[in-house]
Amino acid sequence: MVKRRIWLSVLLCCILAFTMLAGCASNETGSENNAAPTEDYSIKIGGSSTLAPIIAQCADSFTEEFKTWDKVDTSLPEEPIVIFVSTGGSGFGLKSAVDGTFDFGMVSKNLKDEEKEQFANGSITQLGSDVLIIGVNSENPVAQVKPDLTTEELVSIFSGKIKNWQELDPALPDRSIVVTVRDLGGGASEVFDSAVMKGTPISDEALQIPSMGALAGKIMDNKDTIGYVSSGLVNQNPDKITPISVDGIAPTLENINSGAYKIGRALLLVSKDKPDNMEQKFLDYLLSEKGLGVVEELGYVPVAR
Amino acid sequence: MIYRGLELKEKIISSIIISVATVSSLLLLAMLIFILRESWPIWSQIGVSGFLFGSSWRPLNTPPEIGILSMIVSTMWVAGGALLIAAPLGFGCAIFLAEFAPRPLAAILRPVINMLTGIPSVVYGFLGAAVLVKFFEVKFDLASGESLFAASLILAIMVIPFIVANSEAALRLVAPEYRHAGIALGVSRQYLTLRILVPLARKGMLGALVLAFGRAMGETMAVLMLAGNTLRLPGSWFDKGEPLSALIALELGSTTPAGSHYQALFAAGLVLVLMVIAVNIGINLLLNRLQKGG
Repeated sequence: MVKRRIWLSVLLCCILAFTMLAGCASNETGSENNAAPTEDYSIKIGGSSTLAPIIAQCADSFTEEFKTWDKVDTSLPEEPIVIFVSTGGSGFGLKSAVDGTFDFGMVSKNLKDEEKEQFANGSITQLGSDVLIIGVNSENPVAQVKPDLTTEELVSIFSGKIKNWQELDPALPDRSIVVTVRDLGGGASEVFDSAVMKGTPISDEALQIPSMGALAGKIMDNKDTIGYVSSGLVNQNPDKITPISVDGIAPTLENINSGAYKIGRALLLVSKDKPDNMEQKFLDYLLSEKGLGVVEELGYVPVAR
Repeated sequence: MIYRGLELKEKIISSIIISVATVSSLLLLAMLIFILRESWPIWSQIGVSGFLFGSSWRPLNTPPEIGILSMIVSTMWVAGGALLIAAPLGFGCAIFLAEFAPRPLAAILRPVINMLTGIPSVVYGFLGAAVLVKFFEVKFDLASGESLFAASLILAIMVIPFIVANSEAALRLVAPEYRHAGIALGVSRQYLTLRILVPLARKGMLGALVLAFGRAMGETMAVLMLAGNTLRLPGSWFDKGEPLSALIALELGSTTPAGSHYQALFAAGLVLVLMVIAVNIGINLLLNRLQKGG
């Protein structure tokens, strides 16, 4: 009996050791199965992690719908459609599009003029915007008294200079303002910083909320809260979150698409050269109802068609 | 012949046990070395005291301001506060279960208390955020209900089962001779329990407290949802704050590897691990002294 038990434990130890070793090795296979047989018929896209889910989802449905290029356009060869999507950040997307590592770079930020020049011979395609809306609880009287704040007022509120609603407007109640932000350093707080705060530090009394959903929830639960919310979440809860205009510009679809509403960033695909026929077909697909539907579904504002 | 065979088997078994034990302690060591290596630039550039006692956390400014005093203080408030609430309840519950509870009642209570450990911490956090935070806002007319106290309250519920289970085990481990001697001398049950059994079991009971403290310091999800995560140095239990675990969970996702923000978060993680280890070592030293003295 004893002997058998020892061998059993030795056996178990061996199995344990082998599975641990096997776990280390098995990562490398698998992804190579779907490698392109011929590289000419593939599209390589890389960059922003915000855009990657959108593009990957569109690439999946595009590949599934057509399977081979000749089904997209009869002038194209009968080769399987292969679209690679990889992430690495907007900066990486810009750099790799310029040096030709990728056919398209995914960039989720507003391009500066000198950055735009690099793609003068190529293409810059906007799919939509990642827009932040300044939201308050709909029961907060500020929604009626002062539905329009200036950038200076926003800076004062978010930096903690104005701590009380009454300081903002005498008609408002004498209650402290609960400022909610996303974690400092994340994408949303970066957008807010570059569009509104411009380097002024956020108040050290601001509540950092771990997710956009929780932030919207906090605004819906607490009527003294102000915060920046992804546009999608505001649209899903129209009775509970009231959007505040900034410098007289309401966050409406028209204002977002015309670029008048500033708190947001563009979601772009850039390429160094003019897109060839295949690439153009994929771009057309992205800008079709299906592609823009994905943009909207994932909580962003699709570009006006 | 049979005897020699047995000896060999015992050697094999003990070598297996030793190698498993070595591997797990090596894992801890490797983890510490990895965290230290990832965070090294912070220690060499900012210095230990600058990092530990700087109260301004703005890792994205140029130049970055990296100091985690407010997070350390928050962690101490949250975990210490949780123990303050949980220790009396947990010890009381353990003594009741071990000595006073009728058997059928204990048979029902014990699994119920143990079941508390099985509830995922995100559920506790969610409950706290939905019920406690709202309760504080309405009842005390606060602008926002998140506070270190709210986090402590939820943490207390999370660590009570650990205190109860370990203290009860410690009480039951007291040699039956003491119990028999007490009964033979005719002392009351209360006297027997509080003056004889509890002092004898204090090592195990303090151990239970340490285990609970370590858990409370490391707990992340519930704390993240309840503490408010403000960067200000908390002045009291009822202020908001951002414990170390919440800081790391909140910000690590948006850092780039090898950036100073990333390194600073690893340094914060090292501080948290060392704090837990220090508490463990400290309590062991204390216990040794108690044993020698007693």
